[in-house]
Order: sequence, then structure tokens, then C-alpha cells
Amino acid sequence: MISIRLPFAGQCLALVLLLLIFSWISLFSWSVIAITPMDALHALYNMNAESIAQHIVHDLRLPRVLIGIMVGANLAAAGVIMQGLTQNPLASPSVLGINAGAALGMATVSSIAPWFGLLGTSLAAIIGGGIAWAFVMLLGSAWRGGNEHGRLVLAGVAISALCAALTKAVIIIAEDQAAGVLTWLAGSLTDARWQTFDSFWPVCVIGLLGAMLIAPTLNLLQLGDDNARNLGVSLMWVKLGGSFLVLLLVGSAISSVGAIGFVGLLVPHMARMLAGQDHRKFLPIAMMLGACLVVLSDTISRGIIYPAETPAGAILALIGAPFFIYLVRKRTL
Amino acid sequence: MSLSTHNLSVGYHDKAIVKQVDLSIPEGKIIALLGPNGCGKSTLLKAMARILSPMEGQVHWQGKNLHGISSKKLAQQLALLPQTQPIPEGIKVKDLVAYGRSPYTGFWGRINRDDQVIIDNVMTETGIIELADQLVSELSGGQRQRVWLAMTLAQDTPYLLLDEPTTYMDLSHQVELMHLLRKLNLQGKTIVTVLHDINQAARYCDYLIVMKQGEIVTQGMPESVLTETMLKDVFSLNAQIHQDPIAQTPMCVVE
Repeated sequence: MISIRLPFAGQCLALVLLLLIFSWISLFSWSVIAITPMDALHALYNMNAESIAQHIVHDLRLPRVLIGIMVGANLAAAGVIMQGLTQNPLASPSVLGINAGAALGMATVSSIAPWFGLLGTSLAAIIGGGIAWAFVMLLGSAWRGGNEHGRLVLAGVAISALCAALTKAVIIIAEDQAAGVLTWLAGSLTDARWQTFDSFWPVCVIGLLGAMLIAPTLNLLQLGDDNARNLGVSLMWVKLGGSFLVLLLVGSAISSVGAIGFVGLLVPHMARMLAGQDHRKFLPIAMMLGACLVVLSDTISRGIIYPAETPAGAILALIGAPFFIYLVRKRTL
Repeated sequence: MSLSTHNLSVGYHDKAIVKQVDLSIPEGKIIALLGPNGCGKSTLLKAMARILSPMEGQVHWQGKNLHGISSKKLAQQLALLPQTQPIPEGIKVKDLVAYGRSPYTGFWGRINRDDQVIIDNVMTETGIIELADQLVSELSGGQRQRVWLAMTLAQDTPYLLLDEPTTYMDLSHQVELMHLLRKLNLQGKTIVTVLHDINQAARYCDYLIVMKQGEIVTQGMPESVLTETMLKDVFSLNAQIHQDPIAQTPMCVVE
């Protein structure tokens, strides 16, 4: 265990500060047209309409940062809920097939019926993710309870592989749409605009509030199904409600920026190290950590082969994989 | 009778473990469920706590089908201590015991002053108050069992269903536990407990229910239930019944 044992309020404050700093850096760094740190601040509350730099900050960078924050918070919260519902430390949107299912849904609609537009692909992503998640839960017999950890993860891997294969088939069949789908598959905030933000934030707010509301129930689930039931938890409703929240959080996030992996798997574990096992504490910590991580990765993704961009999802994997190895070695997951 | 089963069959994977049991739990008593391993004691207890759904028949709570009652309301009436418990990671003793108040807590699981009084009380009664700040995962088996018991007691229900509560406990803690059950009984709680020690059951319980192969063989006061023929039939034991020199309750001595 890392022994950064600030009190809870202190941790929240530190993370908010960190998030503000990362966001600010992200607003002005790595731009072809030079943006000063002050430009970034002015663009927020005292915009000079003549300054191109400030326009870039306001029209391109700001929505991008905000969407990054929401995506990070959403995926981290989804990971926390999934790990709580399944009592499986490996549960996350990417491991349990939701990302792959959503990718398949999105690729299918954008290749076969591109005229559906953004709303259509978003819906397709949510429906695809939902179907994949339902299959994984059924195959892994997670509804019946018990400690079938291995079976659930195997089901997730199998469904992911199936969805990935089908996605590739769809891309090959509809080659002209392939580039867009591939960028989306890697997960990138390049195309994050105010338009995306406008359709994203209401779902994000509802999903995150819902997650906070079921946090006390997730606490009881860690005592095992029998104890949770005995303490008055209606397991079926919690599992259905929790799954719905996961789909809302993951679906809205990946239909906005693509299949960003690792956040949902890693951040809950990081948050537990910081804040302990009480979901009412580590869930908000996880949301903030997730937001920091995605904003940071997005900033780095712009700098690494500047002036071109790499997908933020790739940077996250670069940061995430070593940390995951550390976790695996540190404790038996 | 407040808690009763009617033609109840229940089990796992289509196989009935408890078979067509009709049973009324006498109110205000300490009741021991006895029987050899695999006879369905735990299964019956779980069905009465609604952890398992009946395959056939019903469990009634105050004349109503148990499955028609809301989860939270039921959790204020019945508390079950399961036989095998998980070892939760990173949870402190006091927090685990506090989870026992969940059926009562208001918005967002907030613990109020009354809850805290109950939590402190049960931790004192179960002798774990000094362990309050330790992690549950770092305790010994017997200590952990007392922590789970404390959580169950914190639920403060008129009915307690305990599945082998003495597991992992040394003899002195077992005796302490039985005394605690008596005290709780005097406060008006009805307690149904699975026990393996027949003499302990005869000494501390008012009513014995003996099961064999999913059916109830006999039930009643210890004096009428604990007989040499019953021990022979149910446990395949050759034993004699004597009187406990201190409590004057029946006591079996194996030949």
C-alpha cells in the first residue's frame, strides 16, 4: 500500500487542484499557433475576440478538456460499479466486453447505415455494449452469485474476441468508412467539440449522480450476496440498476471519444489505495483520478509526435500497463 | 406464530434438500436446529431468511408470504448469520459492524447517534470493542466470527437466525456466546440457531428441532427430544442420557 494517507477532504482538494492544473496545461500546450498560459486563462472569462490563440482555446481546447474530464470520470465510475456488482477486481468495460460490443455496434451502423449520423452511432454503441455485457453476465453466470471470478473474465475475453473479429469483418466490407472507425477504436479526443459536449454532459451528470447514489449499496455487496440480501439489499434491482448505469456511463463516454481502455480497470484500484474500501469515499476519488488521467494522457498524446497526434487511448495504455503489472505483483488481485 | 413454513421444499439446482417441511417457530424462545451434516439445517435457515427461494410451499412471516415483504422491511425483522462468511479486504471492524445498521440508515447510509449507541453496545457485548480499529481480514477465525455476529446483532431484529454461531470459537467464547443469546432472549428476541454440540443445545435452548434428510424428525422441549432412541435413529450414536449436574438439563454421553 502506498502510504499517502491524507484525510478524505484533503485528498479531494489535492485532486481538484491537480485536475485544474492538468486542464490548464492542456489548454495552452502543444499548439501550432503559439498560445501563452495567460491566453488560456483569458479565453475562459475575459475573451479577446481578436486573438486567434484565445479562439483556439475557447472553441477547440476547452470542449476537449471538458470532454476528457467527463470521459475519465465516467469510465472510472463505471469500473467501480462493475467491480462492485461482480465482486471481481478485473471487471471493467474493456475486460468484460462492453467496449468491444460498443465498437461493433458503432462500426456496424457507421459502415452499413452512415446516414444515421452521430445520434445513431451513439445509440448503436450503447446497444452493442449492452448486448455484449448481458452475454458476458449470462455466460459468466454472474447473476447467480458465487465466486466464479475466472468464468466471468473468460466470458468477457471470449465475447471481446468475437466482437473484435466481427468489427474487422464489418470494416473490410465497408472500406470507405474504415479510417473513421479505426480512429474511434483507438480512442481519441481529437474530434471533441462543443457539439459533442452538449449531447454528452446531461447523460454524464445523470450517470455520475446515479453512481454516487448506489455507492452505499456497493459497500454492502462487498460483504457477499447473502449478507447483502440479509441487510435489506434487493440484489436483482441493484444489479439491473447498476448495469443500466454502467451502460449509460460507458456508452456516452465511448460514443463521444471512442473505446478508451484501462481507465475503468485501473483507476478504481488506484482510488482504493488512496481512500480505502468505502465506496462513498473512493468513488468520487476515482472519478477525479480518472478525469486527471484522461486529461493528462490527452495532453501527452498531442506532444509525443508533435505536431501530429497519437490517440489518447494509446497513451493511457502506455501509462496503464506498467501500473497494472505493479498491481498484479503487489497483491493477489 | 410469526415465522412458519408450509409444505416448504427448498434446495439447490433442482435438488430439494429440505422436503415438504411444516414448521412453526415458537415465539420468544431460543430454538436449536439439530441434525447430522447435510440434513438441511442451513438450507432451512436460509429459506426462512429469504436467501433461498422455495421450490414448493411457502415461508410465512406474520401470516404473510415472506416473498411479498420489501427487502428493507424484512431486514428490520429477521437477521441471518450465515455459516461461511467471506473475508472482506480493507474493512475495519467498526465499519463492518456499522453495516449492520443499513436497514435503518437514512440517506446515503448515514449513521446517526442512536445507531452509534447500538453499534458500541453490540461490540461491547460480543467482546470486540478493543478490535474496533483493526482490519477484519487480520483477525483470527474466532474473532472474525464474533465481528460478524456483532454485525448481525446490530441489525437489532426481533428474530435472529444463526448458522453455527460458535464456529471457530474457543470454549470460553462459546459459553459467553450462549449466555449472550440467553440475555438477548430475555430482551424478547426469538433466536433460531444451528448447533452441533447437542449438550450445549439442551442446556441453553428452550426448544429443539431435530432434522434428518431434509425432514423434521422430532421437536419439543430438550427433556422430551433428547432420548437414546433419537440419538440412535438420527445420529447413529449409542449414547446414554444423564442429567447435567449443574443445570439439571438432559445431557448425552456417548458410549
